[in-house]
Amino acid sequence: MLETLTGEKKEKLAQYHREHQKERLTAAYQEIGDMTYEYSADIGLAYASPVRGVWNIVHIATLVPGGHQVFVCPTSCLRGVVLTTAEMGRMDKMSTITVGEENILEGDMEEMLQHGVERIIRELPEKPRMMMIFTSCIHHFMAVNYQRVYRILAQEFPDIDFVDCYMDPIMRRTSPVVPSLWRQMHRVLRFTQEKNPGQVNYLGNCFPHTGEYCDLTAHLEKNGIRHLEANSCKDYEEFLSMAESSVNFLFHATGMAAAKDLSVRQKQPYLKLRPGYSYQEFDEDLAIASDMLKIPAPSSEELERAQQITEAKVREAQAEIGSIPISIDYTAVDCPLELALYLLHHGFQVESVMVDHFTEGEEIFRQLQAEAPKLRIYETYGWNIRKMPRGHEGKILCIGQKSAYFMDSDYFVNEVENAGMYGYLGIQRLMDLMLDAFRNPKPMKDLVQIKGWECGHCE
Amino acid sequence: MAIVSDYQTHVFTSTYTADVSGVCSAMYELGGMTIIHDPSGCNSTYSTHDEPRWFDSDSLMFVSGLDEMTAVLGDDTVLLKDAAAAAADLKPRFITLCSGSIPHIISFDCKGVAHLLEKETGIPVLPVVTTGNRSYLNGVGAALTEWIKRFGNPKESPYRNETPVLSVNLLGVTPLDFSVNDNVKALQSAFENSGIPVNCCAAMGESFDSLSHIFRGAVNVVVSSAGRRPARYMEQVAGIPRVEGLSIGSDAHSQLISLVQEAFQAKITSAPAQDTGKSTGSSLRDLLSKKKVESVPSLSAQNPVHPRWDIPEGQILIIGEEVFGQSLAYAINQLPKPDRQGLSAYAVWPDTDHGFPEEELIHLIRKSKIVIGDPLYQVIPRSADTHFVDFPHEAYSGRIYRKDIPVFAGPEFSVAELISNKNL
Repeated sequence: MLETLTGEKKEKLAQYHREHQKERLTAAYQEIGDMTYEYSADIGLAYASPVRGVWNIVHIATLVPGGHQVFVCPTSCLRGVVLTTAEMGRMDKMSTITVGEENILEGDMEEMLQHGVERIIRELPEKPRMMMIFTSCIHHFMAVNYQRVYRILAQEFPDIDFVDCYMDPIMRRTSPVVPSLWRQMHRVLRFTQEKNPGQVNYLGNCFPHTGEYCDLTAHLEKNGIRHLEANSCKDYEEFLSMAESSVNFLFHATGMAAAKDLSVRQKQPYLKLRPGYSYQEFDEDLAIASDMLKIPAPSSEELERAQQITEAKVREAQAEIGSIPISIDYTAVDCPLELALYLLHHGFQVESVMVDHFTEGEEIFRQLQAEAPKLRIYETYGWNIRKMPRGHEGKILCIGQKSAYFMDSDYFVNEVENAGMYGYLGIQRLMDLMLDAFRNPKPMKDLVQIKGWECGHCE
Repeated sequence: MAIVSDYQTHVFTSTYTADVSGVCSAMYELGGMTIIHDPSGCNSTYSTHDEPRWFDSDSLMFVSGLDEMTAVLGDDTVLLKDAAAAAADLKPRFITLCSGSIPHIISFDCKGVAHLLEKETGIPVLPVVTTGNRSYLNGVGAALTEWIKRFGNPKESPYRNETPVLSVNLLGVTPLDFSVNDNVKALQSAFENSGIPVNCCAAMGESFDSLSHIFRGAVNVVVSSAGRRPARYMEQVAGIPRVEGLSIGSDAHSQLISLVQEAFQAKITSAPAQDTGKSTGSSLRDLLSKKKVESVPSLSAQNPVHPRWDIPEGQILIIGEEVFGQSLAYAINQLPKPDRQGLSAYAVWPDTDHGFPEEELIHLIRKSKIVIGDPLYQVIPRSADTHFVDFPHEAYSGRIYRKDIPVFAGPEFSVAELISNKNL
């Protein structure tokens, strides 16, 4: 029999809930002026919006040419990764081994894993060059000795590179799956003492960084230096030749684990370029990159010219977009707060930013608090936003799919993870995309539900 | 060559929806809040691949976001506090709690936590014990059963009246088996056009209040094997008879209507002891012995009998959910021989605990002349002599072929056309 709550108990419960929610949003958004830098929406029950543009580990692992993925997990976890692959039309790149109740009870996970992989290799029409075997949360808890299995498999199939990969969201607070995968994917590179000064790697990029929209690539190309990245390697041999590169560059924090790993294993130095909107940082980072490669840095005239072109582009976009409100979300750009600040400084009316925790420097947060205290910060996976009526009074320009979904706007820049844009060229490209989005509505409902934005360029 | 069954390794094929998604799917339209106790991923898998209603509605489905430390410490208070806080904001009519594989292996006490949560919030909480390892059919069935146990009223059974009137409940209806095209509407119309009102359709197109009168239905029609468990429960507590089958084409429809009418007649002429609204089995022993010999009127009873993984060579193979597959096989086998090229149809369906043994399925596909199944099964290499008829199934390929799912429910569906030469 359930007890009926007395008035006193109800008050205590209400008090408890108020305290519990002190650090989270009580509605779908709050104003940045009222917030603390420590804000995080990653507490409590989580909601998954229908927006699906951000890449997951399946999309990323599919980038490896000649690679084959094996996911070993319970049915509920397999479903998502298998259908992601099926939607890409790449079921030929994936096989699965289901963890069953009997494996849990009998403790034969190792045997199941070994025999399953052996069967997969035996039955695939073409033997893969590399097998990425993803174990899951349950393997941690069952203390499965999968490394022993990989050693046996490596002896049995010496012409295949076996890589231990992880789909273990239970560890997401200490070891997120995406950085871990980028690191593991590059573990197959054979150590080479000799490095090629004319070749560098980009790590952690889902999308190609071409010289058209990326300052670093343009600068490297101008100096005759070739760059390799997983998303554009034509075959496995070329992927392996990343070991010969002299420097690793990364544009996103998700590539950091790989860069640190390769700095030890391959003796490759690395540089993380700051993906924000500060001209000074662009100039400094290009100078450091040039120094590492022993090539001349861009001259001050070149940088000044780039700045002028960028400013002109921004003015052009602002003149047309005018006072139409803008919403930015964290899936579109790595630094949504910094972009908000940049746009506000250039006369745009940024109304909201959708972000679940602040990953940018505290100084950016403080500056926004001081300059735009009414800026709305929406959380995107807390429970409150599920009930928020989607929509916006009047036209709103959105940068990113989540903004577009929650604001119910067809006027949006459809991009994910900076979409290969960096530096002055990146900002210029972003202005073009904003103008295009402002002028031409898109079928938001159809576009944002597609899994893995632009993953068509996977092998 | 003897094949050793390996249910676990899938070199080519996909996987069916899991139990946790089944729970969410069954509860989706009933005004509650469903919580999957799991680290992450289950909710996005469900909302992306298993829930076609997600974009345009605001039903409350969440994942608890279990993390490593909470799991290691077995700290259920985190879930309790989070769920209570969300419930305080969202005020759902009820809460459903289920869990994935990690709570399963750390012996998460779903029922106990549900009880505590109910005490704390004052909102009814349904514990649905899931493992993340089993099929959606288990999840749908368990969730519907828990819901009916809690909110249905066996005293509304029509057999408590002196002159019960025939109506049916359709059990096991979710988009996972029927998608969101007009299948459910067609299914309801099929019964109503035959003069049998549909009391409840569990659980699509129903509200909390309308479904709470589910015991008013005179016969339960299990239209997907997901409906077996609630049907069994309703039979035990209120003596409501059940039949199994899906109205798919005119022959199957006519036969199903006959089975329903026969079950109703048999019920109203049966011993009054079964009309009391109480369990027909007085002890566990009785229930178990009943289960062993139970024979439910179904369309499948008239299909050719064959060992599970051994069907004759060169015939028609149907791959899909059991009731669907058996009903379609029945419908095909009722066609005149020339309309089915002289072949017989046989259905195979995934085991609810393990799915399909892929090697055996490959073997069956290769030796069949016509295969009717989800297009994703086409990744299995087969000979040119085997013709494949696409029949998308949301619980297998998710949203990929949703627009190609036909309206197969009802007598209007042409089974002959499905296997006619133009489709081969």
